[in-house]
Amino acid sequence: MKIYVYGIIDSNDGIGESTCGLEKANVYNIPYRDIGVVASDLIGPMPDVTEDNILAHEDVVESLMENFTVLPVRFHTVFDAKENILSMMGDYYTDFKDNLNRLRNKVEFGIKVIWPAEKIKEHITSCYWKSGRKEVVSDDSPIKRFIREKFEKYKIDKEFTEKANRLVTTIDIFLGKSAAEKKLEKLKTENLLLDGVYLVEKDKQSNFKEAFEHIRSARTDLRYLFSGPWPPYNFVILPKKSRPLKISEQATMFDKIIQKQNPVGADKT
Amino acid sequence: MIVNRMVETDFPEEFIEEIEKSQDSLPRKIDANPGNVEKGLAKLVLTLIELIRKLLEKQAMRRVEAGSLSEEEIERVGETLMKLENKMKELKEIFGLKNEELNINLGPLGDLI
Repeated sequence: MKIYVYGIIDSNDGIGESTCGLEKANVYNIPYRDIGVVASDLIGPMPDVTEDNILAHEDVVESLMENFTVLPVRFHTVFDAKENILSMMGDYYTDFKDNLNRLRNKVEFGIKVIWPAEKIKEHITSCYWKSGRKEVVSDDSPIKRFIREKFEKYKIDKEFTEKANRLVTTIDIFLGKSAAEKKLEKLKTENLLLDGVYLVEKDKQSNFKEAFEHIRSARTDLRYLFSGPWPPYNFVILPKKSRPLKISEQATMFDKIIQKQNPVGADKT
Repeated sequence: MIVNRMVETDFPEEFIEEIEKSQDSLPRKIDANPGNVEKGLAKLVLTLIELIRKLLEKQAMRRVEAGSLSEEEIERVGETLMKLENKMKELKEIFGLKNEELNINLGPLGDLI
């Protein structure tokens, strides 16, 4: 029999009311010193990667979040025996404890923003042509035409990136006020202006949501995807020496939407 | 408004499309097997050359912008960049590679290019 793991919590006690995990198995806490590993027994083969199973995993993590600080573990994390889990906890107890202390009473929110990249580029291009653009070369040989086109593209791309930076900074000024930490990625694609995650104290959640609503009503030309509160998937920091847990990662459409990127021990390779 | 558990958006399809697009350029490993090892290696090598070519091009444009190059120097730089770009086009055609395939995922650091 193997053991399926959902997360690490700041308690070595029972997890309260009976919780069902994958394949309706009973979920329990494996204590290690003053913290614990929340798990269920896995009798058959590894559960299939289905939306139902991923949501069952997620349900357990979310229910833990209500009563504990939780370091979520990625879907499909399985140990061969309880001894292996205890050995892993012995190796990384201090790291887990540091993370649990840092993330106590905090939740994660995700925000993605799409902007109309094509229109913005067209606008920048038209402004570039209207403004007294600098002629970099005088005559019209093929080489000089080549360099002129390259230079024009460089200027337009540069203005595009600067515009994106300014807009992301504005959005972050509002959202960042209520956040303890953040991770922002700009222009992952030309249209995806911002892909960000914010770590927010539980008692500041409503401030954070208000800030988001304020942005949404002020910039109706942008498209938003707001998600959360999540367990702090993207804010668990493990030192490089940490070995990854045994993980088989699979993505589903739901994963793609919610973009949970770096759970504990996530194997990125 | 679509609220999917804790996910809230008016435009789910657009976000799915953009997220998929951002992940398409992120191969998690080099796909090398006896059938395609040549293409796999070419992809790796051409990605690195493309990175250097883009860096050279950007640096050249910065210098053009700063006005620190004479017309003669601009022409020489232009010729070099043009030949390099044409050579890359040829190599990409030979190995059947598209522009968007020339990238490497550096994990938490993002894309190489």
